[in-house]
Amino acid sequence: MRQSHTFKKLLLITAMSGGLLLAGCDGDDGKDGKDGADGQSAGGEASSSLAVTTSGFAIPGDAILVAPDAVDGDDITEALSVALFDLPEDALVVLPKGRFVVTESIVVNSASGLTLTGHGIHETVLDFSTSNGDDAFRFQGGNGITVRDMAVYEAPKNGIKATNVNGIHMTYTATVWEGELEANNGAYGLYPLKSQNVLLENNYAFGSADAGIYVGQSENIVVRNNTAKQNVAGIEIENSTMADVYNNIAVGNSGGILVFDLPGLDKAFGGNVRIFNNHAYSNNAANVGAGVVGLVPPGTGALILATSDVEMYNNQLTDNATTAVAITSYLLVDDDLANYPANYGATMGDGWSPTLKNVYLHNNTIARNGDDPQGALLQPIIDGYGSNMNSKGSPQTFPAILYDGIGELLSNTGDLAGFNALVGPDAQADGVNYDPYGAGDQICANSNINANPAPAYDEVNTGLVYPDDPADVTQVDGEGNPLPHLLIDQMVNNTYLNCVQPRLAPAVVNFRNNIYGCTGDDLAEAACAL
Amino acid sequence: MTWQKRLARSKRNAGFMIARIHQDRKGPPEQPGGPFRGKRAFQMRNNKNPMIAALMASMLMAACGGGGSSSDDGDSPASTALNAGAGAPSGAKGSCDAQTRGVNWDALMTEVCPNLSDYKLFTDASDPTAGPTRGGVPYDLSTALFSDYTTKYRFVFVPEGKTVSFDESEALDFPVGTVITKTFALPANTAMRDGDELVIETRLLIHRTDGWMALPYYWSSETDATLAIAGKRLTDLSTINNQGQTLTFDYAVPKAADCTSCHSIVPNLTGPDDQREQIFLPIGPKARYLNKDFTYPDGTVYNQLQYWAEGELLSGLPADFNSVEKAAVFNDETNVASLSDSELNDKARAYLDINCAHCHRADLTLPEGYAGAAGSSGVQLEYNRRYADAPGKFGVCKDPVAGGKDGYPYDVIPGNADESYLQFRIETTDSRHKMPELGRSTVHQEGALLIRSWINQLPLASCSPVP
Repeated sequence: MRQSHTFKKLLLITAMSGGLLLAGCDGDDGKDGKDGADGQSAGGEASSSLAVTTSGFAIPGDAILVAPDAVDGDDITEALSVALFDLPEDALVVLPKGRFVVTESIVVNSASGLTLTGHGIHETVLDFSTSNGDDAFRFQGGNGITVRDMAVYEAPKNGIKATNVNGIHMTYTATVWEGELEANNGAYGLYPLKSQNVLLENNYAFGSADAGIYVGQSENIVVRNNTAKQNVAGIEIENSTMADVYNNIAVGNSGGILVFDLPGLDKAFGGNVRIFNNHAYSNNAANVGAGVVGLVPPGTGALILATSDVEMYNNQLTDNATTAVAITSYLLVDDDLANYPANYGATMGDGWSPTLKNVYLHNNTIARNGDDPQGALLQPIIDGYGSNMNSKGSPQTFPAILYDGIGELLSNTGDLAGFNALVGPDAQADGVNYDPYGAGDQICANSNINANPAPAYDEVNTGLVYPDDPADVTQVDGEGNPLPHLLIDQMVNNTYLNCVQPRLAPAVVNFRNNIYGCTGDDLAEAACAL
Repeated sequence: MTWQKRLARSKRNAGFMIARIHQDRKGPPEQPGGPFRGKRAFQMRNNKNPMIAALMASMLMAACGGGGSSSDDGDSPASTALNAGAGAPSGAKGSCDAQTRGVNWDALMTEVCPNLSDYKLFTDASDPTAGPTRGGVPYDLSTALFSDYTTKYRFVFVPEGKTVSFDESEALDFPVGTVITKTFALPANTAMRDGDELVIETRLLIHRTDGWMALPYYWSSETDATLAIAGKRLTDLSTINNQGQTLTFDYAVPKAADCTSCHSIVPNLTGPDDQREQIFLPIGPKARYLNKDFTYPDGTVYNQLQYWAEGELLSGLPADFNSVEKAAVFNDETNVASLSDSELNDKARAYLDINCAHCHRADLTLPEGYAGAAGSSGVQLEYNRRYADAPGKFGVCKDPVAGGKDGYPYDVIPGNADESYLQFRIETTDSRHKMPELGRSTVHQEGALLIRSWINQLPLASCSPVP
């Protein structure tokens, strides 16, 4: 009763040498030409180049061509897998022009100096909608890897993942899940993890049910000139250190730009994250995500969660229905403090902290936020500000800058001092503690610009769920625990968070021995002078 | 497709084994193991069929001789080592066309050959399940990675004159030149693994001078397996499981690049100038999984580690054999419902270790500064991780970080497997969520039941349902 299987010969695996892949160029005339102004060209290769991508990248004559004769709709899985296995150093691998089917995950190990390019973000589209794999691309290990000028559609899990790479550059690359934002869309779009020297620029991420552009547990990161649209999280920097996020657009997501430190990860915490000159607007999509990102209130321009040493400035944060910026400890996610040692003791030992310190918001332009605050996580807070149950005693426009304050308050009252015993020596040396906040630890919001049109001009507020000063606690429950105070006042000429912090250092990305970011190729970039 | 019957094959079970190892001994090996262990370990079971025994003897003769590229062809080996006369790499560039009498070591060391037969690893090139070329030693594991119900035939080939060094926790330290073959065959019925089976693929792990590498070969014909760099997907395979259900699923021969996904440990890059690379390692042949009896082709039943040690294949085996870690046995015959709590825990921990911890691991006995590929996830499931130290490392009350799914608030909820994301992930075949990510196209019902039972009997935690 066992059916017999017709055996189909493997497709010319033995032809992997030479012929199949290195077949001569089919004479692209480059008529699609370059239309990008700032794409890096391949330098003096132009005379021998086979083609120029739409971003202006000249493909040199000795490139490895994958399935150069493929036509729209062809399955190029095998050619792609073979071409990317056991690569020589500094290989340049070119995907064909057109829309092609890929039916397996494409895994690349320990590539050194690889450039994987298509012909353009619209010109080379790989459709993974019928893939049997999970991630579309996964780069594991390696250094100096560029992915560019291509689009990945409908990956079953993540779009382009890069783990443990030193030097990962994605540019003019798209990850897309078409149609409505749904829970079964893929997870992360552009997804460097546990990497060093991460440069994400000029990319487009659409439709992720988690984060469109996500950098996790990495260091030395520049994310610039990208567009993240209609994802649960537009751009997310998680447990990462030394990151500059600038000149990006985050629109139509549930949350525009997120800076998270989550518990339990191998890299326990991040910090020194600068978010500047981005435009995060109309991030009002319903949140279809799961896990912690599923808690992000729809309508959030930016959310800083449990991450210390964050500077957010000169951004335009507009038209987000809940709030422009929420700054919160992890206690908003999990208030079961008694079980923190049991549930988070190990990660707290490694330096993760539910509190956040030294977050500085300044010179952001804030307009038209908070007209329909949402999110189960915030519901009691929303209800309080929308009723008499807040410090003004009358319904208020929901704060454009919202700070939970509870981690700071409990640190200042000494209620968290017991956690100090959990902190391991390395984390202590990094300054992790649960002592009362000093001046340098404070959360500050200053010189932000109210861009609301009249007559709504007065409706840009700063809110504190809890006062940060124990002396200001006026409401406690029967056991003496502070209750939410829902303090609120205008953002300009502010009462709350009225302090300044030192500026943070810029991130430096060294990619193939060139320096990128505000101290490198963007020295003259206006955003870097802010 | 190659259909093989074990019966037909049994006469090819060429007795490469050196029975004299056991016959020459005057008494039990010196070891302080309990009397039961020693007695059992030394028990010999002769093949009941004299005809087959004779055949085996003749095959043994026939298989003797060639040392591959070694220079002592034709000399009868003076050594009693299991790999005596096996030959060894010469250091020269090999050829896939070389006509060696033994293993084609040089090709293994330098060439990616188009056909499995080019490496001369099996006396019958069409049968990778038995009859290794001289020097090859079969082994199995107490608890194995689930691979869509396939039966696995494993052989290790260590170059003549070399030995494997013992390691108490990590994979044994195999010398350069070592080749491990693993052949995957889907039985027609998992309750009758001696019956009909479909031989699908043979994977090689080769320890070259620059490190381990892996090659997948797909049995593209009755006679030989073909290199499958891009993998191979077989649709609508079926088997009958131990419960009598017919299971039908696709089977994926992994791409060569996929091997690294499970077989590597990755550096925790410590700064912008850290250029360390991932390291490729075997997974299964760890002491704790080899520490069990094995029935050798000549009928000998013997503890594998002791067999290797006495066969001069393994050095450094602790004199106090009782100190050697021993993973519990779990297979599809295990009756989970009848296990005691401690047996359940032991088996579940072995199962999680061999199925998950090649990626889900960090620290402990790893080289400093390296982790498994999913070390970053925060879920660590190693056999020798102490649960009580940090249940969160096992996912207890831990929010899913990457992904997650509505209805499964934590990775592991003690007492509530139904809403544990980990349980969901091992019970789904949706590639968005399934675990392990590779090598599984159908649900391991028996394994899932084991883990379900384990989660449900864990000590309750803050995220557990209120009793």
